[in-house]
Amino acid sequence: MLDAAPAKKLVEVDNLKMHFPIQGGILRRQIGAVKAVDGVTFDIFEGETLGLVGESGCGKSTCGRAILRLYELTDGVVKIDGSNIADASTEELRRLRPAMQMVFQDPQASLNPRMTVAAIVGEPLMEHSTMSKADRLARVYELMDAVGLNRDFANRYPHEFSGGQRQRIGIARALALNPKFIVCDEPIAALDVSIQAQVVNLLEDLQEKLGLTYLFISHDLSMVRHIADRVAVMYLGKIVELAPRDALYSGPLHPYTEALLSAVPEPDPSLEAKVERIILQGDVPSPANPPKGCNFSTRCPKVMDICHEIEPEFDEVQPWRFTACHLYKETTNQTASQKAASTEAHKSAQLGEPK
Amino acid sequence: MPDGATPVLDVHNLKTVFRTRGGEVHAVNSVSFDLRPGELLGVVGESGSGKSVTMMSLIGLLPSPPAEVREGTVSFDGQDLLQTDPETLRNIRGGDIGFIFQDPMTSLNPVFTVGFQIMEPLKEHLGLRKAAARKRAAELLELVGIPDATRRLKDYPHQFSGGMRQRVMIAIALACDPKVLIADEPTTALDVTIQAQILELVKELRQKLGMAIVWITHDLGVIAGIADRVLVMYGGQVVEHAPVKGLFGNPQHPYTRMLLETVPSVRGERASRLQVIQGQPPILGAAPEACPFRDRCPQRFERCDRENPLRREIGQRHDVACFWDFNAGAPLNA
Repeated sequence: MLDAAPAKKLVEVDNLKMHFPIQGGILRRQIGAVKAVDGVTFDIFEGETLGLVGESGCGKSTCGRAILRLYELTDGVVKIDGSNIADASTEELRRLRPAMQMVFQDPQASLNPRMTVAAIVGEPLMEHSTMSKADRLARVYELMDAVGLNRDFANRYPHEFSGGQRQRIGIARALALNPKFIVCDEPIAALDVSIQAQVVNLLEDLQEKLGLTYLFISHDLSMVRHIADRVAVMYLGKIVELAPRDALYSGPLHPYTEALLSAVPEPDPSLEAKVERIILQGDVPSPANPPKGCNFSTRCPKVMDICHEIEPEFDEVQPWRFTACHLYKETTNQTASQKAASTEAHKSAQLGEPK
Repeated sequence: MPDGATPVLDVHNLKTVFRTRGGEVHAVNSVSFDLRPGELLGVVGESGSGKSVTMMSLIGLLPSPPAEVREGTVSFDGQDLLQTDPETLRNIRGGDIGFIFQDPMTSLNPVFTVGFQIMEPLKEHLGLRKAAARKRAAELLELVGIPDATRRLKDYPHQFSGGMRQRVMIAIALACDPKVLIADEPTTALDVTIQAQILELVKELRQKLGMAIVWITHDLGVIAGIADRVLVMYGGQVVEHAPVKGLFGNPQHPYTRMLLETVPSVRGERASRLQVIQGQPPILGAAPEACPFRDRCPQRFERCDRENPLRREIGQRHDVACFWDFNAGAPLNA
C-alpha cells in the first residue's frame, strides 16, 4: 500500500488527548483525571491499514473512538480527509460522518435485537440519503452480497445469526454510506479462530475492492501482523512505537514492543524452542497516576536513571520508524546536518519504496 | 513424563446431553482419555466443541437438569466418579481435584478476603485450625509469586489486578495438594504479558509439585508451549489425540491441519492470505451418525456422510477419528 507513491494522508492525528475526569468529595468536584489517551500523534495514508495494538486499558479503543469524535476531545487535532473534526460543529460533523465509520468488538451488543438485518443495514441510508424505499432495499441486498450474507436472511433478527455472521452485519452497516475510513475496534476478538480468519479475509477483500482505509485496533499481535501495513504500539495512553509492519515484527526498537512480541505464544514448536521470552514483572500502572518520566519505566528491563526523570520524546529514529525511548536518544540529539539528512531520507522514503 | 504409569484419571466413553426446550443438545459424545501422573494434557477446540462440558461432567459440576451424563466411566483413585455419592464428590472437588476457571473476577467472591477464600478449602478438606490454615495460606500466596503474602491475605479481590487474581485462584486450587488440576482457559482473560507470567509460574509449579494438569484452551500457541499431550475436540468429540510434537509436526485430522494453518504467528513467514475453514461449527441436535466435521472438510467423501469415524491408532499414542489417510492420500479401506 505504501509503495503507491506519493500516498495521501487521509487521517492526521496530532497530539490527541482524551482525559476522563475523576470526581470525588461531597461536591463531586474533579479531583483528578484518567489520562486514557495522553498525546498521540500519527497519520494514516489512503488505502492503508494501521494496526493499533496494546494491552487492555492502554487506551487503544478510546483512541479509536476519539478519532471519530465519539467523545469530546480534551486536546489535539484530528483531520480526516482534510477537515478538522476535533472542533467541527454538530451540523458539520453530521455531514462528515458518512465518510468515517466504525465496526465494533461485540456484534451481539452493537446490533439492536429488535431490528431486522435489513433495518440495521438500511438505517444509515435512511439517515444520510434520500433514497426511495425500493432503492434502499436494493442497496441493502448489494451490501449483504458484498459481506457474504444470504439475501434471504434480510428479514431475520440478529439473534438468529452466529457470531461471525453478526460481525458481517456490522460490517455491512459500516459500508452502507461508502465510507473512506473505518475504525475496526477489536472486530475479531469475540470470534473463534476459524471464524476470525473468515472475517479478516473479508475485511481485506473489501479494502481492495473499495479502496478503504482502516484503523485496526486489536490486542492480537499475530492478526495485526497479518492485516496491517504499519503498526502502532500503545502503552498507558501513549504510542511507544510506530513502524512498518515487517520492520516492527522482525526488529522491535522499544523494550515494551520487544517484550510484548516475545510474550506471544508460538503455535509452531520448531520456532517455540527458539523464542527468548522477556517476562515483564508487575502490572501496568494506573492511567490516573502514571509514573514520572517514561510511562514504561516501572517495568522496563532496560531502564536507566534518566527514564525515571524525563519523559522520552516520540521521534523518528530511523526512516519511517518512530519510538519514544531514551535508548535511542543519540539519534534525537543528533547534529543539525544529520537531522537534515534524515529528513531527506524520510522524504525519499515517502516517495519511494519502503514497505 | 513417565510412560506406562497407571493413569490418575481415566475417562471412558463419556456422553453428556443437555435437555432444552428446543430439544436435546448432545454436547459430549463418547469422549475417552486418560491422564498420567505429572502430565499436562492440553485440550483444544472452539467454543461449543465440548471441552469445558467434558471436564465439568467428570466432577459433577453441571446442573442437572438440564444436563445429564448419560454414559461412561470416570475412574479416579480407584472409584468411578460418576457413581459416587454427592458427599464424596464434594470432598474430591477442591481436595484431590483442583480447579482454575477462566475469569478470576467472577470466580472469586468479592465480599470475602483473599485469605478467607484460600483458607476455606484448607479448613474444609484438611481440617486445619485457623492459625495453621492462615500460615499455609500465606505459604501458598508466596508460592504463586505474590509479594508480601501475609499482609495481602487481608485484602479483597478488587485490590488485586487480573494477573494477581489468577495467581490467587491458582493458590486456592493448589491448597490441598491436588493430584489433578483442571484449568479451564486460565489465561484467556489475561493480557499477553501477564499470560506469559502465568505460564512461567505453571511450568515452575509443575516441577515443584508434580501434579497432573488438564489445560483447556483455544490457543494453539499456549498448548505448544506447555502441553505434553493434546486432545483436539470438535463437535463434542475427540477428533485427534497426540503427543504435542506429533500433533504439530504431523497432524492427521483435516480439522487439526486447517486449524494450524488458520492461526497466524508473530514469527517466521507471514502468509499473504489466511487459510479459512469455511462454514460454521455443527449444531449438536442429535446423537451424531456421521462425521461432525464433514460439512467443512475438504477431504469429505461418501463414507463420511453415513458413518461417524472412530478413533484409530496411527502411531505412538497418536490416534485420529477420520476416514481419510493422509499418508496414502486416499480414503481408508472400509
